[in-house]
Amino acid sequence: MLWHIVKRELFEQVNSLRFALAMLLIVFLMLVNAVGHIDEYKTRQAEYRQQVSAYSARLEQNSNNLYKHVLDGPGELYKKPSPLSFCAHGSENNLPKFASGKRAGWGTHYNVSGIWRLKYSGFPSIKAKDIFPVFLKIDWILIISNVLSFLAIVFTFDAISGEVEHGTLRLTLSNAVARRTVLTGKFLSCLISLGAVFMSGVLVNLLLLYLSGTLQLNAEEWSRIGGIFVVGLLYIAVFIALGFLISVLVNNASTSLVILLLIWVIWVILVPSMLGTIMSGLNQPSIRRGPSPVYFRRSGLQERYVARGLEDEAPTRERPPTPATLLWAEFLNEEAREGARLQKAYLNAQINQIQIAREFNRISPTAIVQYAVESLAGTGFQRHLNFLKNAERYADAFNDFLISADRADPDSPHVPFVREGMSDKPVSFESIPKFQDRVRLGDAFKGAMLDVMLLLLFFVVLFATAHVSFQRKEI
Amino acid sequence: MLWTLIRHELLMNLMTFRFLVAVIASMSLVLAGSIVLTDNYERRLASYNEDFQRHQEGNFSGKTYSSFMPSLDRAPNPLSLFNQGLDKRAKNSLQIKIGEIPFLWGDVSRNTGFSNPFRYLLADIDLVSIFQILFSLLALVFAYDAIAGDRENGTLRLILVNPVGRGLVVMSKYLGAMLCLTLPLLMSFLLALLLQLQSNAIHYGADDFLRIGGIFLTTVIYTSTFYLIGLFISSMIHRPATSLIVSMFIWVVLTLLYPNVSLFLVNRFIQTEERVKQADQAIDQILEQFYRTEEAPGDPFEDSPLLKGSKSGGGSSSYTHLKKNITFIPDESEIHVPTVKAYFQELTAGRIRTANKVWQIRETTFSETYIRKSSIARNALRFSPAGLYHLSTEALAGTGLARMQDFFKAGRQYRETVLDYFYDKKAFSSRQWFASDKGPVRWDDAPRFSYQPPSVLEDASNRALRDLLLLFILNPMLLMIIFAVFSRQEV
Repeated sequence: MLWHIVKRELFEQVNSLRFALAMLLIVFLMLVNAVGHIDEYKTRQAEYRQQVSAYSARLEQNSNNLYKHVLDGPGELYKKPSPLSFCAHGSENNLPKFASGKRAGWGTHYNVSGIWRLKYSGFPSIKAKDIFPVFLKIDWILIISNVLSFLAIVFTFDAISGEVEHGTLRLTLSNAVARRTVLTGKFLSCLISLGAVFMSGVLVNLLLLYLSGTLQLNAEEWSRIGGIFVVGLLYIAVFIALGFLISVLVNNASTSLVILLLIWVIWVILVPSMLGTIMSGLNQPSIRRGPSPVYFRRSGLQERYVARGLEDEAPTRERPPTPATLLWAEFLNEEAREGARLQKAYLNAQINQIQIAREFNRISPTAIVQYAVESLAGTGFQRHLNFLKNAERYADAFNDFLISADRADPDSPHVPFVREGMSDKPVSFESIPKFQDRVRLGDAFKGAMLDVMLLLLFFVVLFATAHVSFQRKEI
Repeated sequence: MLWTLIRHELLMNLMTFRFLVAVIASMSLVLAGSIVLTDNYERRLASYNEDFQRHQEGNFSGKTYSSFMPSLDRAPNPLSLFNQGLDKRAKNSLQIKIGEIPFLWGDVSRNTGFSNPFRYLLADIDLVSIFQILFSLLALVFAYDAIAGDRENGTLRLILVNPVGRGLVVMSKYLGAMLCLTLPLLMSFLLALLLQLQSNAIHYGADDFLRIGGIFLTTVIYTSTFYLIGLFISSMIHRPATSLIVSMFIWVVLTLLYPNVSLFLVNRFIQTEERVKQADQAIDQILEQFYRTEEAPGDPFEDSPLLKGSKSGGGSSSYTHLKKNITFIPDESEIHVPTVKAYFQELTAGRIRTANKVWQIRETTFSETYIRKSSIARNALRFSPAGLYHLSTEALAGTGLARMQDFFKAGRQYRETVLDYFYDKKAFSSRQWFASDKGPVRWDDAPRFSYQPPSVLEDASNRALRDLLLLFILNPMLLMIIFAVFSRQEV
């Protein structure tokens, strides 16, 4: 029986004007997306390779002396571009493309300088090309979150109310059909027809990208695309359920569309762009301009060490190390640790602010689907956090390498990280750990998990409410 | 007769559910939007004031002529609450240098009162974009059954039995609905103004009120355009439900998809990088050439300093000889002072020449690349009423590209005045160019920077009028088409 209803509904849907319009719209947008992204990944990939080779060249150049690495650090660590940026643009233009591991930028008595550290800078500055008007990038997220949700509403607004108006619902129910079968049948047919529209768009998009040679994906990336497709379907299902709910509650088809549209405009378009701003306004990190707290901390730290006689004596290469050398080493290590800690604390305050705004934004399924698809596509904020984690892990590995390379040198006094306490021999370029930015598939799916759960929750609540109201409805 | 019909329509509309929804939705969104935007503006203003204070103290504190490098700031525009345009994104400060002509070009870090650079991940909104989305939708919702609904109910036939022209019926429907839509719009504007004026940071002058009035009028014309589009669809399609679906598709395309798709494609396919790279190379060459001549022998501060035993004050940088401030010159070095004067005169002249050369390249490149690209984008936007609305309100609010360029033009003019002032004072060949040992420079009669943004009339007539007219002309055109369609139709 269920199948019968689905078939009938599906037949009706597919023959309607709105199905044709929907198909046209989605296929067109997916074409625009594909055309806009042809060769785009290649260009970014080439740029990334160039940056990475500049990074290795720098490492190699510094390899003639171990201490150069201690001072200069590994240089700029670049974020690997995602091949799926056509699915999710992820505001990558507003995010740094690298974390920089460079000189601390201070020097003091006896030619002692701060050792390298990881800095979370690299935010894009204002450029002349920014005079271009702002617009929403045509990526899958936009197509799913704005257009497909709109289509879901247009497909469902008269599902119940229209039939009530015409009296056909009464006719259907006079047969031996349970109400829940009718609702489920209608739901499935809507999901299938919209899924077909979505699927055709996706196929056209992938085909065009594939033929143009832009799309060269491995199995992992295909599974990401699969994940994105499923998230998209789930999101469509949320809006179909919403459409049913309103359609059950309102008896007039046009009124139900009007209500749905207003809910849609507020929930999909306006809330995500307003709530984030409100929340971030309430939650400013406290530090503003002027000399950085790192600077103050260092001068305080230095004073304490000066009181212990830091500047009285220079570090030397003597073995066993003199107390002065040890004191300098202690100071340098503590300064580096403190610097890193403060940088990290400030970064965390910034991240925290955005996280809170994002939590609140999750009242809107648009934001949820955006975050989920971004996680899966490997772009956007979540990905950036992963990248920073990779960079931090690498920073630790690099420091470990410096210590072990120093241990391997029998002539060194082994007092890291003062110049006089460390090896000044060349190191082999091959033995230096190289930064490799990787996104694991597990991380991507884990990142999307919460959002998928939330979408499911939305769906279950809306569908259950629609179901209950339909059961109680007088027809 | 017309009045009776309008009153009838007005009453019919006022009593509906959708009117209630229109009022509540627009008021609540404007409320939330205004609070956010006002807070945001206050932050930007505070950051501007801080910069301005700091620069105000620093600008005229130099002791020598060469240390004169004032920084000028552009105040945030309170009307960016209505249409933010480029106000938040464009460079908002410039520095006057002898060797560089100020320009919208060049990298500066963003300074908009937010300490969190991740903040740009969150979408921004302004009041105009709320109106743009909400009122176009409401207009279509009011229009979809205006004719189709009456026809289905049979009331249309009933009305036409009376001696009423069809034109009159359309006119009365249009005016009735527009009155009904203007009401929530007016309330939203008043609410927004009320909330903004509560803030201590926002002060509107008469000029600003005229601008806000202009934005209101534009919004009314925009809403009317969409109402007429809806009415046209309603007169063409017989079933109200179908008419609503078609209206909604057209709405999504016109307000959401067309503007974004066209900008996306223009941004992707109009290439500028090659041209900019060439220009950058040419500029690098010019600069390199200049540095080479600068480093040529004769530098009185390199290898064997001419002014032996002289002392420099704080804040001078020896490398580029910018901001030179010598506080003491011993008597035995005094004979070399004329040589040093001549050296600096030569150097500064070279610096000004280089600046002019670089500027020539920059100006042409900028207008051939980014300006051209953004004007193509703007032209593409003009095919949609939403785009026209956005562009004309941007011009009225004074947040568009033209206004940003005005500020830099004023900066360039100020630099010219400063140069003239220096020529008058013979500053380039004076001892005070590099030394303050005979007393610091007095800046009492130095020219001050002032930037007067163009008045509302200038902005309206030069920048907004064209788009506003295009938007306006759509109305009579649509009305005529609707008359033509409706008068031939069988009822």
